[in-house]
Amino acid sequence: MFDYRSFALRRVARIAPHYLPFADVASPEVPLSRLLRLSLFQVTVGMALVLLVGTLNRVMIVELRVPASLVAVMLSLPLVFAPFRALIGHRSDTHRSALGIRRLPYIFRGTMLQFGGFAVMPFALLVLSGFAEAADAPKWLGHGSAALAFLLVGAGLHMVQTVGLALATDLVPEADQPKVVGLMYVMMLTGMIASALVFGWLLQVYTPQRLIQVIQGAAVVTVVLNGIAMWKQEARDRQRGSSTAPRPPFRAAWAAFAARPGAVGLLAVVGLGTAGFGMADVLLEPYGGQILGMTVGETTRLTAVLAGGSLAGFTLASIVLNRGADPLRMAGLGALAGVPAFLAIAAAAAGGSVALFVAATLLAGFGAGLFGHGTLTATMRTAPREQAGLALGAWGAVGATAAGIALAAGGVIRDIALRLEGGDAALPYTTVFGIEALLLVLALAAILPVRRKLFDPARRRAISAGQALPPGPRPVAGAGAPAAGA
Amino acid sequence: MPDNDPDKVWPTGLTLREAEEVHSYLIDGTRVFGAIALLAHILVAVTTPWLG
Repeated sequence: MFDYRSFALRRVARIAPHYLPFADVASPEVPLSRLLRLSLFQVTVGMALVLLVGTLNRVMIVELRVPASLVAVMLSLPLVFAPFRALIGHRSDTHRSALGIRRLPYIFRGTMLQFGGFAVMPFALLVLSGFAEAADAPKWLGHGSAALAFLLVGAGLHMVQTVGLALATDLVPEADQPKVVGLMYVMMLTGMIASALVFGWLLQVYTPQRLIQVIQGAAVVTVVLNGIAMWKQEARDRQRGSSTAPRPPFRAAWAAFAARPGAVGLLAVVGLGTAGFGMADVLLEPYGGQILGMTVGETTRLTAVLAGGSLAGFTLASIVLNRGADPLRMAGLGALAGVPAFLAIAAAAAGGSVALFVAATLLAGFGAGLFGHGTLTATMRTAPREQAGLALGAWGAVGATAAGIALAAGGVIRDIALRLEGGDAALPYTTVFGIEALLLVLALAAILPVRRKLFDPARRRAISAGQALPPGPRPVAGAGAPAAGA
Repeated sequence: MPDNDPDKVWPTGLTLREAEEVHSYLIDGTRVFGAIALLAHILVAVTTPWLG
């Protein structure tokens, strides 16, 4: 009798690898096209950021007439999840799966959360603004559902970015990490720029229906692009999958991570520097408009100047790090460039010089690019390979939290100074810029001892020979602005 | 990969644990999407009520 069972099994075994979403054969050489495809998840992250911070920020205040303070609270909700990046990274490092995968489940869940948040968001916003019959709806329904939508998007965003970057770093050998960091960051900026243009074009004429279409369209694009990005990227590791050893608890993993010399110091550097660079992000435009008398078109281009400077800094850092430069020296140079940049921005008020202001903004962006790339590469290079997700998560958690707090603090400091000093209109802004320069000086001061601990050649040799770090290619890299959660 | 591995589940060739894991993702997804759809419908009904 014909054995249908074994016949079918053989057939399936032959065709299955084609249709399975895992890379069963992991090649040591990962072509650029595959990395580009993987980086699509950064495009969706950039898109979500633009939608939250840029588009919805304006639409909620101007078109939906939601109070500005409520908008600020809603938009800062995703920040709540930033510290959990380290936990998510750790869980993906130690995930037990019969299929032998560890990054994909988290990216899948993160994508679902992001999709779910966007799917509910337009209706939640319409209820929040009391559109049509919703005017009679209880207040808690609008507030609660909008908060839930923003929380879902924020949680999904942090999850996808942290674990996606960890996956990217799994794929490449240590020598290629700077390249991957740069590539992922550039793709996020690309996604932000492209989606800003598309959202702006789609929402030229605002209608509630158009708002629903745009946000839900973003939800679908997120799922599709993330699906394409993840397809066949992760190699299956049956040995890891069938391991029955208990998962190390987060506390123990974190203790091991933080016990390495310089690890906590490095995170402090990341926090100080990111706060220093990020504090004025939302103040540059009003400063240019109110104090220097720039037009709306000019101040909007200012954001592009800052982003362009960052992009240039990242590109340069990628090239130089690829040649084996010390990443912390790179970060230090970035912070060093930021100090005169912010002092010059503050000084521009006295002279009323727009040219000086724009040039200094470019320099600040450039410094931020060098600093971001340098600290991320340093974090990844010094972390043990099996803790890649935890290291990336810690970097992202500290960066995103610091950037968010700094952003809020910048606004509060400006407002307080505004109330205290009625006379000088520029002083509130220059105060914030001065604080930024000070934070960067502190970051510089913190870099020196960390660098001695981490990258002193003799000590480094002792570390890699002695403890913790296994031989062979170590970590990794990926990228995303630390400001991602802001 | 022997064809007569007793652990393999017909017809996919996955082991039982692998099949259960794939199934769990399906269940998770269905639950999340179901809850999202329910919430979205409630919100739409509040904004523009249908059926009266």
